[in-house]
Amino acid sequence: MAGSGTASPLITAREAGLVACQRCGRVHDRATAVCVRCGGGLRSRDDTSTQRVWAWLIAGIIAFIPANIYPMLLTNTLVEHSESTIIEGVFELIHHGSFGIATIVFVASIVIPLGKFMAVAYLAISVQRRSALNQHQRHRLFEVVEFIGRWSMIDVFVVAILSALVQLDSLATINPGIAAFSFALSVVFTMLSAQSFDARLIWDADRKSPQ
Amino acid sequence: MTDNQTIQPAPLDVRPVKRPIWQRISVVWLVPVLALVVSLGVAYSSYANQGTLIEISFENASGVTADETVIKYRDVTVGRVEKVEFAEGLTDVLVHVRVDKTVAPYLDDDAQFWVVRPDVSVRGITGLDTVLGGVYIDGSWDTEADVAQYEFVGLESPPQTRVGQRGTVVSLRASDGSALSQGAPILHKGITVGNLGTPQLSFNGNDVIVDAFIQSPYDQRITSNTRFWDTSGFSLRLGAGGVSLDVNSIASLIEGGIAFDTVVSGGAPVRDSQVFDLFFDEGTARSSLFSSPTQNAEVLNIDVLFDSSVRGLSAGSEVRFQGIRIGTVTDLSAFVVTDQQEQAVRLRTNLAIEPSRLGLGPDATPEDALAFLDGLVADGLRARMITGNILSGSLQVELVQVATAPPAVLTRDADGKGIIPTTKSEITDVAATAEDVLERINDLPIEELMSGAISMMDSFERLANDEDLRAVPSSVSALLDEARNLVGGEDIQAVPADLRAAVSEMRDTIAGLNTVITGANDAEIVQSLAATIETANTAVANIEEATRNLPAITARIEDLTDKLFAIEIEGMVDAATQTLNSIDVLIGSDATADLPASLSAALDEVRLFLSEVRAGGAIENVNSALASASAAAQAVETSVEGLPALSARASRLVSETEAVIQSYGERSRFSAETLGTLRDIQSAADAVTNLARTIQRNPSSLLTGR
Ligand SMILES: [Zn+2]
Repeated sequence: MAGSGTASPLITAREAGLVACQRCGRVHDRATAVCVRCGGGLRSRDDTSTQRVWAWLIAGIIAFIPANIYPMLLTNTLVEHSESTIIEGVFELIHHGSFGIATIVFVASIVIPLGKFMAVAYLAISVQRRSALNQHQRHRLFEVVEFIGRWSMIDVFVVAILSALVQLDSLATINPGIAAFSFALSVVFTMLSAQSFDARLIWDADRKSPQ
Repeated sequence: MTDNQTIQPAPLDVRPVKRPIWQRISVVWLVPVLALVVSLGVAYSSYANQGTLIEISFENASGVTADETVIKYRDVTVGRVEKVEFAEGLTDVLVHVRVDKTVAPYLDDDAQFWVVRPDVSVRGITGLDTVLGGVYIDGSWDTEADVAQYEFVGLESPPQTRVGQRGTVVSLRASDGSALSQGAPILHKGITVGNLGTPQLSFNGNDVIVDAFIQSPYDQRITSNTRFWDTSGFSLRLGAGGVSLDVNSIASLIEGGIAFDTVVSGGAPVRDSQVFDLFFDEGTARSSLFSSPTQNAEVLNIDVLFDSSVRGLSAGSEVRFQGIRIGTVTDLSAFVVTDQQEQAVRLRTNLAIEPSRLGLGPDATPEDALAFLDGLVADGLRARMITGNILSGSLQVELVQVATAPPAVLTRDADGKGIIPTTKSEITDVAATAEDVLERINDLPIEELMSGAISMMDSFERLANDEDLRAVPSSVSALLDEARNLVGGEDIQAVPADLRAAVSEMRDTIAGLNTVITGANDAEIVQSLAATIETANTAVANIEEATRNLPAITARIEDLTDKLFAIEIEGMVDAATQTLNSIDVLIGSDATADLPASLSAALDEVRLFLSEVRAGGAIENVNSALASASAAAQAVETSVEGLPALSARASRLVSETEAVIQSYGERSRFSAETLGTLRDIQSAADAVTNLARTIQRNPSSLLTGR
């Protein structure tokens, strides 16, 4: 990567005795407590960040378990009553030959959340220990996690839309199951987890380890 | 390295303040804790609220799907099938059902489960919702929680009665189950008061047993005097009142139905599962009211071996004893008996005799009945086949006392089963009856009668034409005339007078002599004596002369007698006697004597047969019966065509004969007998003539009997 190969290494604001406002980006002296522009609190590093990351992450993982055990969709039609969990839905789609949709659902509902869990966990660990990835790569990973987080709600959206649309009394009704709620919670928790992560810690870890 | 060059100030001793742990720990940790608690809570509650798992085994669980099929109680879903699997050995299908916790305690030993499938019958359509929604398991149990049970055996069809439904179940026994179907209505005065269960073969395979459920309070109408009968279909009766068509409800028309009624009061109350006979129709049911309908007592199975065809006899045919139905034929089979190297086919007919119907009391056992029959057979009881219905040709088995039967005993076969000896069967079917009538007519000794009459007339004619016989009167009268002439002849007439004269002359002479003797010494006496002697001499001479003629007279009388003998009156009398005898034989012959009787018997038979035909009412058979009857009439007509001529001839002959006989004089025994005989013949001939005329004038009289 570009960063890793440069001869002149970057220094952090902290190393420069500065602190940047996380909200508006104005740089202050390290001792400054409140941003002069926006009034936001200034902290060079968030001590509780890792804690919060882990807390949200664990909450997300806990919520993810019922999301996969309990049915996502409760479908009642005149003919049948069906409940399907996420993974059952995927298999059902495969069974019906909708490989594309099956892939989307699988990726959005299983792969991405799991990937996020792993990515966030990796990042959280990497700020405390040495990491195989350099800081730039980890920053990029963090950005990807943050960006992609919202899209994993696709399943929840589908359920919400279907539940809202298909309420035809006895003919056919679709209701969200417990899994939909847990899954949404799980996604929210994971997003919060990712947001709680103070990316500046990545630098510190890099700084610490070579020394 | 570069850092050290740019940053001059000495490194600040930044020493973080050790804050207490509750300040260092983020509040966010509450979130996973909360999430964990909630998750565990949800898991626990879903586990705790999870219903009880029960297992129902079905023989056929078609349509039952795991996770989809629900179980309903009074149309409310109370559970869901979790798993469908086979029992060990693939005998049954095990359906694991998760039922609601609130319901589970009530599932005890009275719980019934069955799979509800769409059912379209004439009574209506049920389970229509299952067409779209798939089958479901329906359950029925009472509202008392006894010992909870977790394994059940499912029913193959909806139960006849729901648990808690009040009523009485009785068993109906029928000989044939084709008119019975499950769920068929039970009617009482036209109201559906119950329904039938599934017909099943009885244990011994002889009957069909079907449970009948009668709802409360209608079940109070059932007593031991209740009769059940089959109302399926319709009945068409042709009677004096016209045509009567009996149709019950369309449902019972199509799928059969049962009706019952209790006409006679005072029956004993029924107990559950009491067995009643199911009668073929209402009439039979009602007429059976005076015999016990519940035959829980065992029947006596006994065999009869017929050596003639049992066509017309079938399982269910009645067994009668002195006109009373005492049982039924339950089985017919043929088997081969080897008797002295000869194989013969015997037809084994199994009779099921109800001991109570033999008059042995309600508690009679088959052994009692067998012993009873043993005694009767020794006294001449025999089995025979008789005609049950002349039109259908169905037969019955009848036990009759035959006084003249050769002695026999009730034998036992290898299994100890009794065998009743048989006697000649009395089978009259339509064809046989018609044939019989014709045969009887054919057997009428008309030909014989005619030939007898003809030969009699021949002999009469011969007799009448006999020259000798013809000569008899003339010769006899000639003889008599001669005799009369002889007797009346002057010579003969003269003889007595001559004799008288001679005697008186002699008397005179003797008187003269007396005078002479008394006058004694008179000279005249001598003179007169001489004269007297003279006179006496004359008289003697006269007598002599008269006497001289007597032999001739005698000879003439002898001659006449000889002539009389020569007339061969004996031969004539013989011939007449012979004729008389032959007439006697003819008249006295049974055939002739029976002629009117057998004719009327034949007519009676025809009449009986026709009345049977009329009473039978089977239109299709009547025509053929009529045809055969008119054929019979034709035959009768043909055979009597000759009768008028015959009788005319007989009359002629009789008058001729009479005339002949008349000439013999009215008083003779011969003529009296002959005349009597002839009158008999005449009346017989008249009867034949009348019959012939009647038949010719109105052949249909043979049919109508009028
Ligand atoms: Zn600011």
